[in-house]
Amino acid sequence: MAIGSSTTCGQSPETLSAFVDGDLSPSQAQTVRAHAAACPQCTISIAELTAMVTAARGLERPEPPPSLWPAVEGAMARHERPWWLSLRLFGSGALAGAVAVSVVALGLASWRTHRATAPLVAPVAQVTVVASADPLLNEAEAEFASAAAAYERSIEKLRALLAREEPRWSPAERARCTERLAQLDDAIATSRQLAHRSPGDTVGNEQLFAAYQQKIAFLAEAVHRGGTFGEGDPPR
Amino acid sequence: MAVKPPQATMFGVTAVRAIEGLLVPAGASRAELDDAELIAAIKRIDPGSREALYHRYKKRVYGLALRIVGPGDAEEVAQEAFIRIFRGLPKFRGDAALSTWIYRLAVNAALSHRTRRAGARLLTRDSDSQPDAQVDKTIEAQPAAEPIQGDAVLRARLERALVRLPTGYRTVIVLHDVEGLEHEEIASILRCHVGTSKSQLHKARARLREILAADGITAEALQNG
Repeated sequence: MAIGSSTTCGQSPETLSAFVDGDLSPSQAQTVRAHAAACPQCTISIAELTAMVTAARGLERPEPPPSLWPAVEGAMARHERPWWLSLRLFGSGALAGAVAVSVVALGLASWRTHRATAPLVAPVAQVTVVASADPLLNEAEAEFASAAAAYERSIEKLRALLAREEPRWSPAERARCTERLAQLDDAIATSRQLAHRSPGDTVGNEQLFAAYQQKIAFLAEAVHRGGTFGEGDPPR
Repeated sequence: MAVKPPQATMFGVTAVRAIEGLLVPAGASRAELDDAELIAAIKRIDPGSREALYHRYKKRVYGLALRIVGPGDAEEVAQEAFIRIFRGLPKFRGDAALSTWIYRLAVNAALSHRTRRAGARLLTRDSDSQPDAQVDKTIEAQPAAEPIQGDAVLRARLERALVRLPTGYRTVIVLHDVEGLEHEEIASILRCHVGTSKSQLHKARARLREILAADGITAEALQNG
């Protein structure tokens, strides 16, 4: 007899299913038992349901493909990548440097307004005194210094990670990396000189932060891609 | 489409592996940790703890995904489920058993996937009686690839019959009859009443019997299979 053959006794399939699972109350179960004893169709239905449930319980849990774990691990690594690895070279995001530059620019504007309204008795001497004593300018300079320190810390962390990766690279790849890092360090040193040539130099600091970002982007790529850095996007 | 595996030097993978094993208690392998210890290890970000949890639950999560969305999308859904699991674990309070919580995230990932793909409802209602043509199509293509015999034939036909159930029916019958969960757990997973879980199961079984009958599967075959 095929499974699912309809019964004519009026007993609902749901009730029989609940009976198989032991979900009926004792009195309901007794009623079904008594009915089934006199109803061959329901006896068969109960046997069918029991067999079906047993067969379903016997279905195996399939082994996932071996690519699943690497995919999960990779997705998690990308998701948890530190924010400073998401910095784009010369990006327009909310970068610490950009914030610092903006703060200093505002500070300078305020300071210049303040200076314009002040008496100009001894201009040269006064600039020096006001620059060091103006709290807004000092605060802005502190923001610059703080942003620079944050960049330096990020670079330091990335350098440590890179140091773990480099031994896997070929000598040529290591040499290429060293050369590129030297260029970036030169750019940072030059930019730092420009930034420090006068207090609150927003242009100089912008250049310095851009140089930091460039180095961070390079280090992140080198850590991420290994010795193949700078060779285009990895295949997807 | 599933995300590609990371490069060998992917940041966060090799970097973490560099200190792999340093935090595993002496004499204890990951496989020996119970769920609570494993959760604690993951919250401490112990190396290897996530992978241990993955291996413990991979068959359950993947099997569930496979049976709800079909082989074509199962890997993608299982991946999404594990990402939800690992992202949610730091906030897991243990109100439910870990396995129940994992099943819930896996079911949600599968049903969300189906909703995105087909606009299906989260919980099947009586009006949701149409089988999943897309899943059906992919499953149909599977067994014909190579001849199978005996128990394997029966299992394949049972799997195929399951696929023909509406999503909600299929979900509850997979959770109860295949995975062996209790109605209380299923109600927690599907966020419905226990009575709803029971009535859905009984209706699902009735429908499954009809499908099996249409496929010519006899009670004797199931009993002997």
